[in-house]
Amino acid sequence: MSATLTERYISATIRSLPAESQEDVRAELAASIADAVEARTEQGEDPEAAEREVLTGLGDPAVLAAGYADRPLHLLGPRYYLTWRRLLILLLWIVPACAFVGVGLSQALIGADGGTIIGQAISTALTAAVHVAFWTTLVFVILERTGADTAETWSVEDLPEPKESGTGRADLIASLVFLGLVLAALGWDRLIGLVRVEGDWLPVLHPGLWPLWTLLLVAIVLAEMVHAIVLHARGRWSTGLAVANTVLALLFAGWALALFANDLLLSPELLQLARTAGDIDAQSMHTLGVILVVSILAVAAWDVVDGWLKTLRDRRR
Amino acid sequence: MVWGMSDAVDTHLQELRRGTVVLACLQLLREPGYGYALLERLDSHGLPTDANTLYPLLRRLEKQGFLTSEWNTEESRPRKFYSTSADGIRLAETLQQEWRALTESLSSLTEPDPAHEES
Repeated sequence: MSATLTERYISATIRSLPAESQEDVRAELAASIADAVEARTEQGEDPEAAEREVLTGLGDPAVLAAGYADRPLHLLGPRYYLTWRRLLILLLWIVPACAFVGVGLSQALIGADGGTIIGQAISTALTAAVHVAFWTTLVFVILERTGADTAETWSVEDLPEPKESGTGRADLIASLVFLGLVLAALGWDRLIGLVRVEGDWLPVLHPGLWPLWTLLLVAIVLAEMVHAIVLHARGRWSTGLAVANTVLALLFAGWALALFANDLLLSPELLQLARTAGDIDAQSMHTLGVILVVSILAVAAWDVVDGWLKTLRDRRR
Repeated sequence: MVWGMSDAVDTHLQELRRGTVVLACLQLLREPGYGYALLERLDSHGLPTDANTLYPLLRRLEKQGFLTSEWNTEESRPRKFYSTSADGIRLAETLQQEWRALTESLSSLTEPDPAHEES
């Protein structure tokens, strides 16, 4: 004989409960359902219809089980939602953009055509975004279930300064994550290589840069990190910080351009490969070089101007 | 019409009633009782409660030490009897006091304020 509706209902309810409470809940729920059915049949109701009515009244067993287990019926509750949202937005600003630029650059360097470069860069950025969203959410769902504390309690000190110009915590984290990624990429490039061509990893940067020039770049990146931290601690731009920012931007641009001009920036192996495998003629190579130089200059100029603009704005308030 | 927004009204009514089930259970279970009988008694006192709210609530209150329980196997159907513990009685008194204070505060909102009348 197949199980009655009541048996099936109870089994469905207690299935997800801790083993030690299962039998107790089963016995109690069975008695409660039997009491309720009996009360209805005493009124002259058909036993089968009464059973159906009672079970329908109790509702979805999963909801009842969540009540017994004191489990949340949501993926993320108010306790973690805001932290999750802030972090996710921050990461979605940073990670896919880095993936886009990184993949685009490496595809361009191995001589892929325009369509492939954009296609690869977009698809990698999308994949990165999906991964970021999924893993971040998963971590918070686990936090929600285990009740761990994120130690993020709000206080009045967290109130943002009025009209701040990129000195908030989000900007600090963004800067540090980006600079950290740069350092990681440097190390990776040195040890393994950033570009994969036909199963082999090739470094992007010239091997001759190690150790002096690489360490100089590391020093610049570390100085940028210190700059970001000081900026966050001060909470506003000042002339000193703008000067430091300008010096750092010029240092980086100078570093890159000096090496590039002497054919010491990019790995000759990679360039050779780009010429042969990518079938890029000297003319296109030259164009690519110009684009790279212009980008380096543009980024540096934007960084410098941005720093001074924010300094002026902060001085006015 | 305002009453046309019955979903919003229902939500507000539910919010207002939410905490009262705990107080009602603690008061009724000063005499031992079991799940279904308690459901009926709540209903007859004008506090209809969903079975799927009440049953988990009883276990939660027991876990928190405000109720104690005992299986009664003397009758034909074994039933779990709950009764309010000493802690539970203290909690009930606190909640009842709070409820009275709230009732007073809320009624004072619509009564003319004598202090205000004078000025």
